[in-house]
Amino acid sequence: MTKEYSLYDDRSQMLRYIDRYPKSFTRTPLAPLIQRPLTLSERTGPIGLAQQLAIGQLDLSRPKADAPRALGQLISVSGRILDEDGSPLRGAVIELWQANAAGKYIHKMDNHQAPIDPNFIGHGRLVTNEEGEYQFFSIKPGAYPVLESGWWWRPPHIHFSIFGVSWMDRYVTQIFFPGDPLNETDLLLNGVPDRATRDRLIFEFGDTTMGDVSSVGYKRDFILRGHRRTPELD
Amino acid sequence: MIVSPFCTIGPFFPFEFADELSDMAEHAIGTPIIVTGRVLEEGLGPTRNSIVEFWQPDSNGIFRHPLDPRFAEADPGFPGFGRARTDHDGWYRIRTVLPGAPVGRAPHINVMVLAIGLTRRLVTTVFFSDAPDPVLECVPPALRSRLIAGKHPDTETYRFDLILRGENETPFFAD
Ligand SMILES: [Fe+3]
Repeated sequence: MTKEYSLYDDRSQMLRYIDRYPKSFTRTPLAPLIQRPLTLSERTGPIGLAQQLAIGQLDLSRPKADAPRALGQLISVSGRILDEDGSPLRGAVIELWQANAAGKYIHKMDNHQAPIDPNFIGHGRLVTNEEGEYQFFSIKPGAYPVLESGWWWRPPHIHFSIFGVSWMDRYVTQIFFPGDPLNETDLLLNGVPDRATRDRLIFEFGDTTMGDVSSVGYKRDFILRGHRRTPELD
Repeated sequence: MIVSPFCTIGPFFPFEFADELSDMAEHAIGTPIIVTGRVLEEGLGPTRNSIVEFWQPDSNGIFRHPLDPRFAEADPGFPGFGRARTDHDGWYRIRTVLPGAPVGRAPHINVMVLAIGLTRRLVTTVFFSDAPDPVLECVPPALRSRLIAGKHPDTETYRFDLILRGENETPFFAD
């Protein structure tokens, strides 16, 4: 028999409807999500991306190794990716994108009147090591306005998209910086009802380093769905 | 351990992350097809600048993944994963090959929508006929046709619209 499960009303996840976030009301399905068995199709997923795509040791703070660095606070971001059973996910592909120190993305849809930084690319991919660990350098992103809202400023955050081992553990999120006053008013961060869970969308302050590359450290581990939530069809 | 919270993909997902994965058929064995359609919100307005992801078996029904007992015979030229973004009118377009039937399943492609306003992903499955399938059978019979792509009479182009909410809403699966 197939065990039924759903994250739909899970307090550990972000609400699907968020007040003052209009698109959450026009894009969330009305009908309840349909339970289905998980076959090989859902229990497999893209694991070959690391071979298919250009992926390297990542330094978002400069376009190439001998180039000048982007403006802003140099940071080192690191953490681990585990499944629900606590097993590290090795070789997991992580896609990253973020604004520059002035809160501007290199993106056609970004109409914010803030300067582009020629030394800041703002996106890239990396892959976890044998222990499921990742690490990259970047600069701390700036806050930016959601222009059509008339009031909402997004606090500094980095976007993560992660490929685990199956279609069911495909994961996309945003991670915020501790102590920013805009964290208190952000509709998305505060869309998680449970306080302890909300903290899991915020970096932990890590170690500062001094040397060849001096940086301020931030840490964030991720737990992706694993075997417990992916019962087999039998 | 508790699964980490999802958050919306937002408006600024890099275009190149999508565009470089929008052709799965280039080096693959099988019948190249186009799957295309619109992603629409309530009131049938377009969901611009959203991301649609695809996961499917190769033309012989084999998944490029070690869990598939036939993994060793998977088409080395077929990645299985693709991605498209929607344009100003909500249209997406992906090039792939017609999937084969995996053991116990009808030919199908897993589809995921990531968009502004969706704090979590939405997942569904697109089929190419009403052949018996254990996932399609979970959908109320009257709604099943919404998960079957329509073939263009003259070309290998299949139309599959994703209506996120409202009348004729696409059935989505629990996550
Ligand atoms: Fe952002």
